[in-house]
Amino acid sequence: MAIGKAISRVEAGDKVTGAARYTEDVRVAETAHAVLLGSAISAGRVRGIDTRRAERAPGVLAVITHLNRPDFAAVPPTPYTAEGRMPLVDDRIHYAGQYIAVVVAETREQAEHAATLVVVDYHRTSPVPTLDAALSQAYIPRENGLARVPSEYRRGNAEAALAAAPVRVEEEYRTAALSHAPIEPSSTLAYWEGDRLTIYDSTQSVHMHRPLVAIAFGVPEDRVRMYCSLVGGGFGNKSYSWPHVFLAPMAARVVRRPVRVTISRKQVFTGTGHMAATVQTVRLGADQDGRLRALIHDSVNQTSFIDDRQETASAITPYVYAVPDLYARIRVTKVNTGTGGAMRTPGDSAGAFALESALDELAHRLGMDPLELRRRNHADVDPVSGRPWSGKQLLACYDQAAERFGWDRRNPEPGSARDGDDLIGYGMAGGQRTEHQRPAQATVDLTDDGTAVIRSSMVEIGGGGLTTLSQIAADGLGLPTAAVTFQHGDSALPAAAPTFGSMTSGSTGSAVKLAAADALRAAIDLAVGDRRSPLHGADPDDVVAHEGGLRLRDRPGDGESYRALLRRNRINTLRGDGDFQPEGEDAEHAMATFGVHFTEVRINRYLPRVRVVRHVAAFSIGRVLNAKTARNQAQGGIIMRLGAALMENQRPDPVSGRFISPALTDYHVPVNADIGEIDVIFVEEPDTNANPLGARGLGEICAVGICASVANAVHHATGKRVRSLPITPDKLL
Amino acid sequence: MRPFTYLRAPDVATAVRAISAEPGAKFIGGGTNLVDLLREDIEQPGTVIDITGLPLTGVEELPDGGIRIGALVRNSHLAAHRLVTTRYPMLSQAILSGASPQLRNMATTGGNLLQRTRCLYFYDGAAACNKREPGSGCDAIGGFNRQHGVLGVSDDCLATHPSDMCVALAALDATVETRSEHGVRRIPLVDLHRLPGTTPHRETVLAADELITAIELPPPPSGAVSRYRKVRDRASYAFALVSVAAVLKVRDGSVSTVRLALGGVAPKPWRAYAAERALLAAPATEESFTRAAEAELTAATARPGNAFKIELARRTIVATLRDLLAEGSAA
Ligand SMILES: Cc1cc2nc3c(=O)[nH]c(=O)nc-3n(C[C@H](O)[C@H](O)[C@H](O)COP(=O)(O)OP(=O)(O)OC[C@H]3O[C@@H](n4cnc5c(N)ncnc54)[C@H](O)[C@@H]3O)c2cc1C
Repeated sequence: MAIGKAISRVEAGDKVTGAARYTEDVRVAETAHAVLLGSAISAGRVRGIDTRRAERAPGVLAVITHLNRPDFAAVPPTPYTAEGRMPLVDDRIHYAGQYIAVVVAETREQAEHAATLVVVDYHRTSPVPTLDAALSQAYIPRENGLARVPSEYRRGNAEAALAAAPVRVEEEYRTAALSHAPIEPSSTLAYWEGDRLTIYDSTQSVHMHRPLVAIAFGVPEDRVRMYCSLVGGGFGNKSYSWPHVFLAPMAARVVRRPVRVTISRKQVFTGTGHMAATVQTVRLGADQDGRLRALIHDSVNQTSFIDDRQETASAITPYVYAVPDLYARIRVTKVNTGTGGAMRTPGDSAGAFALESALDELAHRLGMDPLELRRRNHADVDPVSGRPWSGKQLLACYDQAAERFGWDRRNPEPGSARDGDDLIGYGMAGGQRTEHQRPAQATVDLTDDGTAVIRSSMVEIGGGGLTTLSQIAADGLGLPTAAVTFQHGDSALPAAAPTFGSMTSGSTGSAVKLAAADALRAAIDLAVGDRRSPLHGADPDDVVAHEGGLRLRDRPGDGESYRALLRRNRINTLRGDGDFQPEGEDAEHAMATFGVHFTEVRINRYLPRVRVVRHVAAFSIGRVLNAKTARNQAQGGIIMRLGAALMENQRPDPVSGRFISPALTDYHVPVNADIGEIDVIFVEEPDTNANPLGARGLGEICAVGICASVANAVHHATGKRVRSLPITPDKLL
Repeated sequence: MRPFTYLRAPDVATAVRAISAEPGAKFIGGGTNLVDLLREDIEQPGTVIDITGLPLTGVEELPDGGIRIGALVRNSHLAAHRLVTTRYPMLSQAILSGASPQLRNMATTGGNLLQRTRCLYFYDGAAACNKREPGSGCDAIGGFNRQHGVLGVSDDCLATHPSDMCVALAALDATVETRSEHGVRRIPLVDLHRLPGTTPHRETVLAADELITAIELPPPPSGAVSRYRKVRDRASYAFALVSVAAVLKVRDGSVSTVRLALGGVAPKPWRAYAAERALLAAPATEESFTRAAEAELTAATARPGNAFKIELARRTIVATLRDLLAEGSAA
C-alpha cells in the first residue's frame, strides 16, 4: 500500500535543484515585458496622465492607460474574477496600488524605468482609510454573489436565551488584515495566434480561470489554453484572476507579441488580495455546568468600493457546538482598499479566534477546564441539518492531543507557572471547517512498459497533491509510486477540482481513484478474455492488481504483468476514466474536518514577547494519504497562523489608507527562530461516507484555531486577555 | 530604477577623486541598502562608485590594545573575528542580531554606519517625508508611528537610525576615520549622525565627497562585562523596537564603569549619558538601574503609536543591567 506512506514529494528533486519550472521560468521567444503602474492615492480620479516621456524611453513598446486601452468584451463573473471592475476601464481610483497604466518594453528593467517617467495628475477625494473609520456603516451585502454562504443564520431565539442564561460572556475581538505573502509573485505570460490565446498563469486552477479570460476577451473557451504546473505558494490568492491576469493578454494584443507581467513584491500585497480585517463580537450564554444555551456571533469586515466580499468569520459558528439558540451574521463595510480574497482558512480562522477565545473566557468564568467545556458541548450530529457527520473523531483528537501535550499538568490559575523570568502559559482551542467538494475528472493510462500516467489539470501548489494522487493511482493498479507519472496543470487535460478549498484529496483524489479502478477493470477484462493469459476465463471479481500486474486473489502464483498483457495484445495504453461527482445538497451526511490545538507559550516577564515553544495539534480528516506531506502541510498551516497570532498585520496608513508595509522586511511573517516544536496527530478513520477515497481535506482545517490557542495560553501565562491580533510585545507591557 | 553610471574604484585615491568629480555620486559597499533605495526611486545618483575593491578589509590590533576595522570589512567577517569575539563580544552580539546571514555577508562596516532609516513613510514615495523631500511634511506624525523614535526626534521627523552595530559602537567609544580630497578626518561615532531638527535630510556630519575608511575602538574597559540586548517583534530578522548596549563594572557594590547606548528609539545611535551620570558611583542595585533609566527617558516624547517604547526602553535598560550585574558577580 502506497497510500498513507511517508513518501517524499515526487517533484522534490526538481525543486531543490532548480529544475522545477514555475510560471516565471517559462520562456517564449520575442516576449516583451510589462510593468504595472499603481495609483499613489487611494481615492479619487486620474485627472491627467502624461505618458510621453515614458513612450520615448529606451525599449518602450506601448504605454496603455484608461485613455487608450482596447475594450474588454465583457466582465467575467465574480468571485473567481477577483474584482468586479475590469482594470483600466475608467479614471476612477478605489484603492492605492490600483493599476492605472501598463508599460510594455523589450526588457523588464526598461519597463520599470519608463514607469518612473509617467506623470499622473490626481484628483484626490478623501478616502475611507481603515475598518475603524467605516465600522458604523456596516451592512449586509444585498448581492451575496461573492459568498458561498448566507450572511445571516438563525436558530431559536438567541437574544432571549442569552438574557435568560445564568453565565454570560460578551466581548469584542479583532483580527488584522493579512497578506498571503507567497514567495512566488504572480506572473502571467500571454500570447495570441489569431484568436487563439495561450496563457501561462500563476493560478490555483486552470479550469476555473480559463473561462474568465475567454469571456473577458470574447473568444470561445476552447480557443484559450491555460497552463500552470507549479505554484510557489498561493494560500488562496491565486484562486482568483486578479487584474494583471487580464492585462497581460490585453498588452499582448496591443504590441502583437507575447507579453509577460510579473507583479512586484509590493504588488503581491496590494494586487492579489488579502484576508480582510474583522471586528467581531461574540456573546455566549451558558448554564453553570457549562452547557451552552445561546451563541451570538457578529462579524464586520472591510471590503473594497468595488466589491462586497465577506470574510465569512461567523459562517462556521452554527455548525460547531450543540447550542440550541444561535444567531450569526456577517456584514461588510466599504474602505478604500483592494478587494480581499480567500486566504487559508477563509472565514474560519478569523472566526475561530473570536469564538474559541470567548469559550476560554467562559471556561475561566465558570472555573471549568476549557477542554471539558468543549466536550460538554460536542455536536454529535450537525446542529444545522441534524444529519449525522460522515466522520468525526474530534473527541479522540481531544484525548490524544491533550495527553501528548500534558494538559493535565496545567494549573488553571493564570500566572501560576514560571521558569526563572519566564511566565509559562498553556492554552487550547478547537477548529472546524466545512468540507467542500466539486466535480473532478482524471484519466489514468496504463502503458505497455508497465507504468501509469495520470492526466488531470491539477496544479501543484506545494501541498503535495502530485505525490498523494500518484500514490492513489499506484495503489489502484498495484504499482510502485515511482512507476506513476503525472501530466497536470494544463487546461487541455481532464478538469481537476481547483487546488483550493481543500479539494484536492477528496475530489481530485477520488477522480484519480475511480480512473485507476477503471483502468484496472479494463486490464482485467482484457486478461480474462485473452486465451493466452494465465488468467483466461477467471471471474473478473477474483482478479486483483499486484506488483505491476494482475493475479488471482486466492492463488498468488497465477497471474501476469501489465507489460506482458499489453504487449501481447499490441496495446500501447489502456485508459481509465474517473469522474467524481459530489452528492451535493441531498447528501446523507454532513461533512466537515475537525481539529484541536494545544499551545505552550513562554513570556519573559520584563520583556514580554510571546514565544510559542510547543504546539500539539490533532486532526480528524478521514484517511491520511501521505504521512509526510500531511505532517508538513499541517505544520505549515500552524506556522502560518502563528504569524497571524503574533506578528502579521497588513495595516493601512490611518490617513491615506495606503498599505504602508508592502515588503517582507516590514510585513512580518514567522522566521525559523520563531517556531518551536510542532507535533501533529491524525486520528484516522477512512471516511467513505464522504467520498470513495475516504479522505477529507487537510490544507485548511490545519490553520483554524491556532490564534485562539495562543491567546488563551497568553492569558494563562499573564492573566491578560488580548482580544486584538496580533499579540505584539506592546500589548503585554 | 533609473539608469546610472557605474564605476569601480581600485584604490582610495581614485575613489575620493571620482566622488569629488561627480556631484550627486554615491559610493556602494555591499549595496544592501543603496540598491533598495535605487529600486524604490528614493535615491537617484547619476553615478555609483563601487568601493568593494578597496584594500580596506582588515581588522588590526592597535598598539594601545584597541582595534582598527577597515570600512569594507563585511559584517559577518567582523562579527566572527577573533579580536572582536574576545575583546568586544558585545559588538559581535549586536551585528549578529541584525538582518540575516545573507545580508551580513554583503554588508560592509562603512555602509552599515550610513544605512538610512527604515521609516515606512520614507520608503513610500507617495507619502510626505521631510527627509526624502525637504519641506514636504511628515506623514509619520499623524500616521502609524509604532516604529518611530522617542528621543532626539523633532516635529519634522520621527525616524530612527536602524543599525544595531552602531549602538554597540556608540557604547564602545568608537571613532570614524574618513578621507576626502581635503584630507583625513577623525570623528567620534556619537558625533557622526545628526539629530533631525528642521533639516532631517541632513543625516550625518560627513560631506558628500567623504569616504569612510576605518573605525577605531579604544581598548575595552578592563574588568567590565558587556551585553547587547535587542527587543523586536519576532525572534530574528527584524529591526529593534528597543535595543540596549551596556558595559558595566561594579566595585564594592557600586558602579565604577558604565557605558550605555540605546537603539530603536532615536534618530542616531543614542549614547545614554544621563543614565550613565546617574549610575556612576551609585549602588549597583535594581533601584539605581531604574532611576538611571528614568533619568535618560525623562526627555522622551511619544506619539500615540510609540508611547510603549518608553516603558519598553526602561525595562530593557534595567533588565540588561540586572543581567550584567549577575554575570559580573558570578565571574
Ligand atoms: C531586509 C533587511 C533587514 C535588515 N535588518 C537589519 C537589522 O536588523 N539591524 C541592522 O543593523 N541592519 C539591518 N539591515 C541593514 C543592513 O545592516 C545595512 O543594509 C547594511 O549594513 C548596509 O551596508 P552596505 O555595505 O550594504 O551598504 P550600502 O547599501 O552599500 O551603502 C549604504 C550607504 O552607505 C554609503 N556608503 C557605503 N560605504 C561607504 C563608505 N565606505 N564611505 C562612505 N559612504 C559609504 C552608501 O553610499 C550608501 O549611501 C537590514 C537590511 C535589510 C535589507
